[in-house]
Amino acid sequence: MKKVRKPMLLIVLAIFALASVLAGCGNGSNGGNNETKPTSTNNSQAANNTVEEPASDVWELGSEALEFSMYGHYDWYDVPAWESTVAGKWIKENKLVNIIPVSAGGKAEAKLSTMIASNELPDVIWGERGVDVNRLYEAGQLVAFDEYLDKYPNLKKWMGPDLNLLRHPDGKIYQFPNWYTGQPSGTSGYVINKKIYEELGSPKLETTDDLYSYLTAVKAKYGDTIIPFEPHRAEDMQGLGVLYTAFGENVSYSYLNQNIRAVPDGDKLTSIFTNDVFREAQKYIAKLYRERLITQDAFTQTIDQVEEKVMQGRVAVFAGSSPTTIASQAHNEMVKTDPDAGYFMIWPIHKEGLDKNKIYPGSYTSLGWNVSVITKAAEDPEKIFAFLDWYTGPEGQSLLFFGPEGKNWNGFDEDGHPIFTGDYDAEEVAKLQKDHDPIMWNGNTGYIDPAKMKYQATLPAVEQDWNARYQSEITWKTSSNATEFINMIPQPDSELGIIKQSVDDIFLEAYAKSVMAASDEEVDKILDKAEADAQKVGYSQLLEFRTERWQENKKLLARE
Amino acid sequence: MVRLGFSDKFMMVSIYVFLTVLSFSALYPFWNAMVVSFNTGVDTSMGGVTFWPRAFTLENYEIVFNDSRLLNGFFISFSRTIVGTATAILMTAILAYGMTKKDLIGRNQYMVFFIITMYFGGGLIPTFLLVRSLGLMNSFWVFIIPGLISVWNMIIFRTFFKSLPNGLEESAQIDGCTNWGIFFRIILPLSGPVIATLALFTAVNHWNDWFLPSIYITNEKLLPIQTMLRQILNANIVTDQVAQLDSASQARMEAMRTVTSKSLTMATMMVVTLPIIMVYPFVQKYFVKGVLVGSLKE
Amino acid sequence: MSQVTTKQHHATSLQQQLKRKPNLFKRFFKQWDIQLMVWPGILLIFTFAYIPMYGVLTSFMDYNIFTGGNIWANPWVGWKHFEMFFNAPEFYTVMRNTIVISLLKFFIGFPAPIILALMLNEIRHMVFKRVVQTITYLPHFLSWVIVAGLAGSLLSTDNGSINILLSSIGAINEPINFLSIPKYFWTILITTNVWKEIGFGSIVYLAAIAGVDQHMYEAADIDGASKFKQIYLITLPTIMPVVVIFMILSIGNLLSAGFEDILLLATNPVLRPISDVIDTYVYRVGLSNYRYSYATAVGLFKAVISIGLLTMANYIARRSGNSLW
Repeated sequence: MKKVRKPMLLIVLAIFALASVLAGCGNGSNGGNNETKPTSTNNSQAANNTVEEPASDVWELGSEALEFSMYGHYDWYDVPAWESTVAGKWIKENKLVNIIPVSAGGKAEAKLSTMIASNELPDVIWGERGVDVNRLYEAGQLVAFDEYLDKYPNLKKWMGPDLNLLRHPDGKIYQFPNWYTGQPSGTSGYVINKKIYEELGSPKLETTDDLYSYLTAVKAKYGDTIIPFEPHRAEDMQGLGVLYTAFGENVSYSYLNQNIRAVPDGDKLTSIFTNDVFREAQKYIAKLYRERLITQDAFTQTIDQVEEKVMQGRVAVFAGSSPTTIASQAHNEMVKTDPDAGYFMIWPIHKEGLDKNKIYPGSYTSLGWNVSVITKAAEDPEKIFAFLDWYTGPEGQSLLFFGPEGKNWNGFDEDGHPIFTGDYDAEEVAKLQKDHDPIMWNGNTGYIDPAKMKYQATLPAVEQDWNARYQSEITWKTSSNATEFINMIPQPDSELGIIKQSVDDIFLEAYAKSVMAASDEEVDKILDKAEADAQKVGYSQLLEFRTERWQENKKLLARE
Repeated sequence: MVRLGFSDKFMMVSIYVFLTVLSFSALYPFWNAMVVSFNTGVDTSMGGVTFWPRAFTLENYEIVFNDSRLLNGFFISFSRTIVGTATAILMTAILAYGMTKKDLIGRNQYMVFFIITMYFGGGLIPTFLLVRSLGLMNSFWVFIIPGLISVWNMIIFRTFFKSLPNGLEESAQIDGCTNWGIFFRIILPLSGPVIATLALFTAVNHWNDWFLPSIYITNEKLLPIQTMLRQILNANIVTDQVAQLDSASQARMEAMRTVTSKSLTMATMMVVTLPIIMVYPFVQKYFVKGVLVGSLKE
Repeated sequence: MSQVTTKQHHATSLQQQLKRKPNLFKRFFKQWDIQLMVWPGILLIFTFAYIPMYGVLTSFMDYNIFTGGNIWANPWVGWKHFEMFFNAPEFYTVMRNTIVISLLKFFIGFPAPIILALMLNEIRHMVFKRVVQTITYLPHFLSWVIVAGLAGSLLSTDNGSINILLSSIGAINEPINFLSIPKYFWTILITTNVWKEIGFGSIVYLAAIAGVDQHMYEAADIDGASKFKQIYLITLPTIMPVVVIFMILSIGNLLSAGFEDILLLATNPVLRPISDVIDTYVYRVGLSNYRYSYATAVGLFKAVISIGLLTMANYIARRSGNSLW
């Protein structure tokens, strides 16, 4: 046996070498080939079209058929079959646009990697700004929109000058934003259980001290059956992040997020670990947690568990970055059986002495949530842009939110908003909006929110949609503009990216630990150690990088 | 009649108790999933649905079956599982039998050759590019061919084959039977249990695999149900992406994801999992040992 | 006389040597029928496992996936990624966790299915046996998302069954936050793992037990041996080959201590110092950040160590007569 080992090893190595050579030869040519196009573009129909239009001509949507492939870069999302939605069907019939879904199949990262490696990108990719878009940009795979912005004016018009923030280092625009807006949006805040509140005598709930007394009273009266403070999933900050904003004026919830993790101090971004407001907030939260006023499951619960508690009415105060999704559903269910029950929202809690109008539990950016990009694989990028632009304009948005023209709305008023008809069916509209969520690729918040509110304003307060009511009364007014803080995530495989990763790890651990700390002194100790650890891995470099970007953004934003 | 001693009785009782407890705990999640799937989504979100549906409905199943591509997906899943399992088992068993032959030249080298692949691999992209260059993209055969040989299964087969008495082979050879003949006429028939086991494992793997189709298949007609329904099943899995968004965007993202209720997820899971679970009770009869005893005159 | 014999001996051995070389090829073709059994498999494995193996080289480069299969277009960086991994401050913690969790899973999770199979074998009541077999293998089909969700509900401080049970028997005053306290994590992890896989894992051993000669049990009964002794002297030795093979393979997998289960059960970051294993660490730091080369490098490190462990385990097992090679 031993004698056989050496030759055996040689044989194995030989095979390996042979395989590498074979592979190297075979795939070298493969990687270079611009392989077949993805399953898109209806070639025959496009060719059928008549004259080639000169470049300055605007292509009219619906004048000829357009087909392209669409991919959503998320594990939990698939582009629905185009004709399965009301809007999709209407668009196919009336505007001759057909969209072919490319499915991530559950593992978006792998799917995109294989598409990139085989050079078979879909025509349009819908996903997060940042890393993935940058990769594609650096590889020259994206189509710039600059030429199209004036020809198809909706995006430019409705987005305004902030559009410049979407530019890449070469000065061009490659990203088509989703849920972009010029005015505050968001649904962060504190949701209060009406019945419990009334049973405890409807006390004043404005300051952090008020909150503490209230929660203590809840615990004293209801024991373990009611959760005093439900922070949603604390791993994502959520309710605890909202509490943080109570301790400082103009303190943004976003300071705790991955893309910032710092606090502005004058012109610079400084460490969050040493920040006084943060420390004070953590001590307060730790106290609440220690005394079991915050659910002990905060860091381990699933969305289902949170939902259960809220739906059952077993929470007294529910806070988060968007507690309204669950709370509105819960409220609607609860009032069915008991009209006096349900939830309502209050003006954000603040520390005693602070100006309550400068407290911002929520944040928003004018750029919205994510973006669509058009890749070089697309045959007719201009036409696709034309579609996207139409989609984000009054016609497209009204179709998506209120259905085809004629039923719930007819024509536009002087603001460009749809005029609602007498046949307006609120239930149908609600259902439509839910069904169309998955195809809301470039939502125009600045347009649609006022339009929605116009309808709500015609209803008496009691009948108003719960969400809409509190959005206009509270959450929109208490959402801070975090647009100047975008683009601060370094590419992950760079040195800064590695530093960011380490800092993130340190932060998350320190955050959870400090909430679970046994005393104020321990909170300080934990955060001191976190600061030391973070500095060791290069936190100050990261802060410098982010400060730079922040100042650049501010300059861009100031330029009108 | 043999009487059971005290220690034996005690052991038997403990065994029965333990197995009963284990069975109930193993059954409950499935039972609960089934119950939830027949409950309305809104009612489920209020919690407390355990042993019986509180708000019975078929709406979740309606949604799942409403997808016109579902029937096709089932067809693909079934075909892949049946064809894939049958071919893989046959090929791997033949390979394993060859590897039991002590006089096989290069046997140990082959073994090392195989075992290395259990630990070293090229990774996603090189494999993807290879499969692509072989023309297997968007083809049914991509489900079958790369998976024909499983080294793991080969090792198990080989272990089982080696445990069969040598006398069987020898007497067959004396009767003039070829190696292939021995394999098909003697070894295979006696390997009921191990074939059943490995066929079950292979079938489960084929049935549950959603990843392979997600990267190799874009043609909707070739998607198995696991991949098609993956987005529903993934809907409530929270990822890191949430944490980097400002709260307004977080709200948007959450609004889109809560379209899928727990009930719908459970209904989907039932549809996707029940067929394969049903297989085991049917193969259980093959776990009776082969007709071995008494075949040899020692 | 001795001279003649040595000469003869020398002459014959020379003859034998001359005959050996051509014999190899001839012998090879003479056994074409069994070689034919293995060569299709060898070719398939070569194609699908060895040809893509050049990907391993990307661990020595800064791989950019836009180069696709043209890996030589990437810059060569030598041991950079390996060094980054070994020098990472979390390295020791991650390695320790990996080994501890793996060993725990091995010492508890490896015998468990065997014991279950042995238990099932003792059941004479066929219907009960079949039903139990079918039910206990169901958890394998539940995704870890569901299992972790169930564990979360059970261990919850708010109406979680375990806490309710403990306080009703007076063992505790306040609910225990199991999933947020490090000392409970390993237990929770191992328990859920065993529960999930015990049924499915026992199938192989049941198949092996099916090969035991029933007459031997009858003979042992007549001799008055207790069931315990019968298991120990008859059943176990018969399934030993299968057990040993699986044991060797498990030892080879020591560095794969789990992934999805840990990711989903250790959601509270305070658990990280005891829950982070190689695969979760690489996922967080490597793959989530598109650091493919880093992830590949760590994978290569794992593979090399695993082969080493496997060889060692195989060598030891050879003495019992059962080994992989």
